Amino acid sequence: MKRAAFRLSLFALLAPGAAFAQQKTSPVKSATTAALDPNKPIVISRGILLTITHGTIDNGVLVIDKGKIAVVGAAGSVKVPGGAQTIDAKGMIVYPGLIDSETHLGLTEISADRMTNDLVERSDEIMPHMHTADAFHAESALIPVSRYNGITNAIVAPDSGDTLPGQDSFIQLAGADATQMLLIRDIAMPLNFTGKQRRNESFATAQYPQTRMGMAAQIRQAFTDAQGYVTKWDEYNKKKAALKPGENPPSPPARDLKLEALVPYLEGKKPVVVKAEEPNDVETAYALAQEFKLKVIFNGLTHSQAIYDKIASWKVPVILGSIYDDPKEWQRYDAIYKMPGDLSKRGVKIAFASFDAHQVRNLPYAAGFAVAFGLPYDEAIKALTLYPAQIWGVDDQLGSLEVGKVANVVVATGDPLDVKTDVKYVFIQGRPVPLVNRQTELRDRYSNR
Amino acid sequence: MASDTGSAQRAGRCAVCVFVFVACIGVVAQQPSSFAASHSGKNEFVIKNAILLTATHGRIENGSVYVKDGKIIAFGANVSAPASATVIDAQGKYVTPGIIDPHSHMALDDDVNEATSPVVPQMLMKDAFDYNDKAIYRALAGGVTSSLLLHGSADMIGGQAVVIKNKYGLDRDQMLFPGAPQSIKFASGENPKRVFGDKKQLPSTRMGNFEVQREALTQAKDYMRQWDEYNEKVKKGDKSATAPKKDLKLEALAQILQGKMLVQIHCYRADEFLTEMAIADEFGYKIRAFHHALEAYKVPEAIAKNNIAIATFADWWGFKYEAWDAIPWNADLAMKAGVRVAIKSDSNDYMRRLNQEAAKTMRYGGATEDQAMQMLTINPAWIMGVEDKTGSIDTGKDADLVLWTGYPLSTYGVPEKVWIDGDLYFDRSLPGLGMPQLQEGQ
Repeated sequence: MKRAAFRLSLFALLAPGAAFAQQKTSPVKSATTAALDPNKPIVISRGILLTITHGTIDNGVLVIDKGKIAVVGAAGSVKVPGGAQTIDAKGMIVYPGLIDSETHLGLTEISADRMTNDLVERSDEIMPHMHTADAFHAESALIPVSRYNGITNAIVAPDSGDTLPGQDSFIQLAGADATQMLLIRDIAMPLNFTGKQRRNESFATAQYPQTRMGMAAQIRQAFTDAQGYVTKWDEYNKKKAALKPGENPPSPPARDLKLEALVPYLEGKKPVVVKAEEPNDVETAYALAQEFKLKVIFNGLTHSQAIYDKIASWKVPVILGSIYDDPKEWQRYDAIYKMPGDLSKRGVKIAFASFDAHQVRNLPYAAGFAVAFGLPYDEAIKALTLYPAQIWGVDDQLGSLEVGKVANVVVATGDPLDVKTDVKYVFIQGRPVPLVNRQTELRDRYSNR
Repeated sequence: MASDTGSAQRAGRCAVCVFVFVACIGVVAQQPSSFAASHSGKNEFVIKNAILLTATHGRIENGSVYVKDGKIIAFGANVSAPASATVIDAQGKYVTPGIIDPHSHMALDDDVNEATSPVVPQMLMKDAFDYNDKAIYRALAGGVTSSLLLHGSADMIGGQAVVIKNKYGLDRDQMLFPGAPQSIKFASGENPKRVFGDKKQLPSTRMGNFEVQREALTQAKDYMRQWDEYNEKVKKGDKSATAPKKDLKLEALAQILQGKMLVQIHCYRADEFLTEMAIADEFGYKIRAFHHALEAYKVPEAIAKNNIAIATFADWWGFKYEAWDAIPWNADLAMKAGVRVAIKSDSNDYMRRLNQEAAKTMRYGGATEDQAMQMLTINPAWIMGVEDKTGSIDTGKDADLVLWTGYPLSTYGVPEKVWIDGDLYFDRSLPGLGMPQLQEGQ
């Protein structure tokens, strides 16, 4: 019932005249971001709360205290602490911070300037011991631009030029320094199998792996080596444990950081993000993952319409697209736009990603566009919040407006998925984030001459 | 041995190319027999019960558009169409003019840059126009009815653009925009200096860039003088006068100086707008538009004063150093200073949803619905010099129209039907590609 109410308000937003009239006539008599004291409770009142897990609350109250969500409920039904600072969110939408499931934030600044890029180590294809956390540039100008649009958390992944390019980090888009922003180092490992990882420019300059079978063989060898490495250490530890007094201790095997990096994935403790686009690549990569019993999250799948049913039967989550990838020559223009709806309909857990750094801020529009091509609205919002939180194992902390969760909260003038919506407040770990960035500074400098 | 194998591989690739090419031709040849009848440019219909976003006459609720023989005959809240007109009920949905993309490199295969010299105005993009490119279909499905296909930005003075109507499935010459003036591409900044600098050639700096441009235009002036002198002699009956050698490159440059081409300049930085305008003044030609123009917000008055438009991105930034100061308020700040602003794609991806890009100007800077619509239609039409033919819902204009599923200036509005010159070229409800002119199985 509450969801139906939100659909009505969404419908009103889609009728632009009405929505804009509402925005213009609704005075925001609330504390500005700069005036808010992060050490005292903050009450966001009269907003439309998209709780994600408990429907939509039309005239809602949300209280942020000590970095957490302390209260969520309908006005009058919940107790609000006295003397708290208040934000009047009348007519505005309040939702959990958005999570981008693949970005290059902190790994690039100016795309064409090589010295500002740490996207992927191209010297070898098997580089699981590269940690994006080691390169993450917390002071990147791209991060305040991204959070300006309500993106509060993101996966930082290396570029997909290698089959095993290194390990992802999970960040929040605010914090005093890199240690505060890097919430989880080495959260997952990409395994890229799109064919673009081949080194086959020409026979004269080709290097191994020149082909897909080369890529697969190389990955198989890497995991086999890691298995051997585990066995060696197990044997050593067994010998050491069985050591009798007076016996010489066995000498430990030489450490190998590359193989060590693969061990948590071989043990299924962390997920491998398998990127493939075409059905044949999806099948090969999935078979490889099965061979080593890896825990799989799919990524891409842009041209795999023919095997959606099979993919759904594997019960693995999917990071979508990008849905903006070009369809194949023979495909209808909307073949990939429809992917989120087509997979969601089959019960697949989906999450959106920008696959970008500069344009992370546009993440919600991909979800909105997918709605135009058949994805139910509620699923679209979940694929930016709760589902990625679940996929990345942080749903006890993030992904919905629930008491006890980390207060990553966004207040916006309207539908989070529409391009016209302006974000008014962003809270990360309960702290109000100033909506100021390099671009707003340039705007202000040149419009106030 | 290795090189033999290499050439065999190349030959194999070529064979594949040929196969794909033939297959594409096959698609075009599959036009149903009813095609000629349905795409005669002679249709007569009236779209009723629509919200019209006209671009030049604001929003008209419960409006109609009456189309005959490829033109808009009447539009408004009270349109009386003859009984002979087929009625299309828009069911309260939005109808807009077709979107115009004033900066595209689609349908040029890899032939975007003749980067072997920094001055190549004799290149005609029409010669490379791959009218079978499916990108045209995807632009059409995004509501784009007309595109300016430009030479790339490797050269200071690039080639001559081709203006098309996105009638995917038709022959090459049927897609050329009749009567569209000739545009030419200039560039500046990082691209020319990188392309030629990497080859240890002039230009490798911005001073080199502009000197190359001045040098070429100076040669053209000299060439024009030689011809003037020759023509003068002939007029005076001097039989010994010998004609100067005809040089196609200098001919093209002369046409620029004679004001016969619309000069479209790829340019990012504020200082470079000023230099380009100074050079144009020095040589006596007009600049039609700055493309990209990401720093227009820094010198908008100077651009507006010269009646130069900008074709800009809504929010792209940071892809290179000269795009580092780009801000999403650029379009609105320039517009408010009086600059004619268009939102363009420069991308086979973004051209499919330019409506969303224009809607971003409503959020950043508060463009009105009308202003955002103008950035998508009449303003880019002006940049291409076809504003008297298309770019708005106006009596006598080409019936280039889009019916949308939802509000076009949002994430959700997508084209349902697209007409060009009164013929239906895209219909989302149809199976297959959604193209009435290429219905499979017929």
